[in-house]
Amino acid sequence: MSNLDNNKKKQSFFLSRWFKRAFFGPQKELSFMEEEALQSPLRTVVDNFLSKRLSVFGLIVFVLVFLFVMLGPIFVPIDLSYQDNTQLNVAPGYNMMKVPNELKGKIKTIAPGKTFGMGLDENGKVYLWGYTRITDVIDLGRIPEEVSQAKIVDIALGYDHAVAMDEAGQFYVWGNTRLGQDRLPNDMTNALRKGEDLNIVQIEASNQFTAAVSQEGKLYLWGNANLNDIKIKKKYQENIAKVATNINTYLVLTKDGEAAYAGFQSNVYSKVPEGLDSGVIDIAATANTNAALKEDGTLVIWGNVSKGEDKVPAHNGKIISIQGGRYHYTALTDQQELLSWGSNTFKESSVPEFSNGTTIKEIYTGYYQNYAVTHKGEVITWGLKGYALGTDHLGRDILTRIISGGRVTMTVGAVAVIISVLIGVIMGGLSGYFGGWIDMVIMRIAEVVGGLPFLPFALILSAIIGTRITVEQRMYLIMVVLGILTWPGLARLVRAQILAQREMEYVTAAKALGVREGSIVFKHIIPNVISVILVSATLSFATSMLTESSLSYLGFGIPLPTPTWGNMLTGANNSVVIQQFWWRWVFPALIFSICTICINLIGDGLRDAIDPKSNER
Amino acid sequence: MGKYILKRLIYIVIVFLTLALLMYMLYNLIPTDPARAELEPMRKTLKPDEYQELYLKLRADLGLDDPLLVRFARWIGFMPGKNGQLNGLFQGNFGYSNFYKKDVRTVIRDPIMITAFMNIFATILALGITIPLGIKTAVKKNSLLDKSVQVFSIVGYSIPIFIVSLVFIYFFAVLIPIFPVMGTKTPGSNFSGLRYYTDMLYYLCLPLIVMTFASLGGMTRYVRAAMIDSLSMDYVRTARAKGVREKMVIYSHAWRNALLPVITVIIGWFLGIFGGSVIIENTFSINGMGKLYIDGLTNNDYELVLAMQMFYTIVSLVGILLTDLSYGLVDPRVRVNK
Repeated sequence: MSNLDNNKKKQSFFLSRWFKRAFFGPQKELSFMEEEALQSPLRTVVDNFLSKRLSVFGLIVFVLVFLFVMLGPIFVPIDLSYQDNTQLNVAPGYNMMKVPNELKGKIKTIAPGKTFGMGLDENGKVYLWGYTRITDVIDLGRIPEEVSQAKIVDIALGYDHAVAMDEAGQFYVWGNTRLGQDRLPNDMTNALRKGEDLNIVQIEASNQFTAAVSQEGKLYLWGNANLNDIKIKKKYQENIAKVATNINTYLVLTKDGEAAYAGFQSNVYSKVPEGLDSGVIDIAATANTNAALKEDGTLVIWGNVSKGEDKVPAHNGKIISIQGGRYHYTALTDQQELLSWGSNTFKESSVPEFSNGTTIKEIYTGYYQNYAVTHKGEVITWGLKGYALGTDHLGRDILTRIISGGRVTMTVGAVAVIISVLIGVIMGGLSGYFGGWIDMVIMRIAEVVGGLPFLPFALILSAIIGTRITVEQRMYLIMVVLGILTWPGLARLVRAQILAQREMEYVTAAKALGVREGSIVFKHIIPNVISVILVSATLSFATSMLTESSLSYLGFGIPLPTPTWGNMLTGANNSVVIQQFWWRWVFPALIFSICTICINLIGDGLRDAIDPKSNER
Repeated sequence: MGKYILKRLIYIVIVFLTLALLMYMLYNLIPTDPARAELEPMRKTLKPDEYQELYLKLRADLGLDDPLLVRFARWIGFMPGKNGQLNGLFQGNFGYSNFYKKDVRTVIRDPIMITAFMNIFATILALGITIPLGIKTAVKKNSLLDKSVQVFSIVGYSIPIFIVSLVFIYFFAVLIPIFPVMGTKTPGSNFSGLRYYTDMLYYLCLPLIVMTFASLGGMTRYVRAAMIDSLSMDYVRTARAKGVREKMVIYSHAWRNALLPVITVIIGWFLGIFGGSVIIENTFSINGMGKLYIDGLTNNDYELVLAMQMFYTIVSLVGILLTDLSYGLVDPRVRVNK
């Protein structure tokens, strides 16, 4: 068997040689010695380097990481001012809209949440999916025992609490209940205690408050009254048909078809546009806007319109129902068209294609999620499915920040090294070649700079100068500081090399030919020591990146919100983050470590390749 | 040798003064006005012109309007202050911390002890591990052990120390909670005597492990390289030819000669970790010099920062001096100064 393989190999080798000869002409066969003599030094270095598997591996990984962070920002641009308090500390994963299979086909209603969803099946069972952890101790996913035993008829999801009502009209609230989310109003608890049926037909929950509408048109509101406008004017009470909640207020639709702001505050939402006092058939709200749908299918949208919430796309049919997410609306027309518009950060306004035969029974929209339930019982979802690497404490996507942060870290490291190499080569070259008092002065300067305690000095420079300049200037400052403080090492190296080189024959020859001294140093000697410089530069690239990230980690490097791999780890040194929100430090730490390890592998490999003697070390 | 040491000492003093001047100039870039700060409490009780008069007088008393060099000389203790007395750095007056409302000397007394203790302890631990390991890998060059140590040491010195800390906290304080996450003493405790020190040692365990771990990579490589050089020397071959026991060859003939380059590296590295412990101390909330320094910077307590900067400078200059001296001491060929 192996013989056969060998034969095959031989054959193919022969074939390829024949092929080469046929097309590229005969190749002169070289003996081992000749080949060695003909190989240029650079070629030897490349060959040596390529024969080191670990270093080549490092090079490949580094190039991949480099391309990833350099080209990445083109595909995932970073918005430095972005933050979203509904997306804090979300774990990695793409399960935010993953409706459980047991629920499919018998969905009664769905309540979309910020990073999770809640569903109710026709048997009165409650399901929760997605990332349900609210804080390190509160987890919405732990459905209380009594809820799983009761037959639930309606549900709602707020910012950090869940509400369910059973067939007896009893309410269950779980999640964060510290701010009165579970403190039902007195008239409600009294009635429930007496065993009266409140006939609740709609429950809506929002940012720490809940609204419930009864058959008789009575609106009950409870929750955090400090944050939210949860009172109702007398003239609207007992006449409510539907309620919609935005971030801190609510909007009602009366039984007479009027869209009204029933609270007491005077704000941008309370200025209801004219023409909405009759003929309104549906209402909805995003976080910062309210919408009313009139009989003729026209929409009126008001509030703090900031992300294109009022730009209703062109459509053929008449809009018959509307739902609001966090910064987008989703509507259904009488011709079975699904429309989504507004913010599209998480593709929540990009309605997927679905086959023509399917007809939509109901749409559920909230936060960044959309669920469309078809008559066949299928669920079409679009919007925020999750984050590959989770989010940080301000709700920012870690992947995006790693990509942009890598770009900053690498740029700073590279520029710092370039500065350091430029100064180091010039200083070392001058000092080594000319010797005498030039050497003396330069080496004393190098010793002074080298004698500066590096980290403390960089810190104090950054702290004193850094406070009066812009963020961008501060970035340059860090590069320059790193460059200026690290040149002495390289200068000494170059000097030592040049001291050895300047006694060589080729320098004497150049001198004899009358070449100027400056050009002897920089055109004749430096190219001969370039390999040493290259190795040193590679290794100090890793060191520069480490130093930058250390400075940023301590809060004296690149300031937030510009991400770097160092400042992404600031504040990660407490047990809650380390354990509960591990994704916040593991991923930046991992990619950074991989990167510096690879650079050091490359540097080591290069050194061995250039100086085979060091191989033995 | 005596002349050489003297020369180096003079040189160190000059460098120190240059750096001190540099730092002082940097410090003067900060817009502060001690006179105004001192008068602030009395401001409301004084009439504007009275206040102005007092302010100008105080400025003159404090010598704030004198040229920079004069103020520098006063600060460092070469020139008498306005009261006619030498009262500067050389006289032991390190300044006054605005944040702690104490003399800098009292502020830094405890932190300096903790930092020094940590660094010395970590150095001993690290040397205790790296020297045997380096010798072993050098003797068994290209063995499996050597190769794995090589890879491990690259990983070791590539990873920044704060990432190492996070990983160690995760494993040894969170996942398997044997050590506390941070701090230097049990919260709320008020131990005295021996109990105080054992408690502190327990809290310093994890930082010490991290510091030791972080220094393993680089040091092992140095020891290994020096040892390999030394093992390839003729005297080693001669010793072996003479039939000296292998152990004797390694530890007596080779190691003694390998020690020369290692010592100089060790000194430099030992002083380097003084600066490096800034990160460790901040990660583990240890009240050492590094944390004090960062706190001083964030609290704009610049007089404290300046004094500490001088401390770091002295530490690193002494390091350079020691390295130079050890070169000369250990290797008579060097005697740097020709």
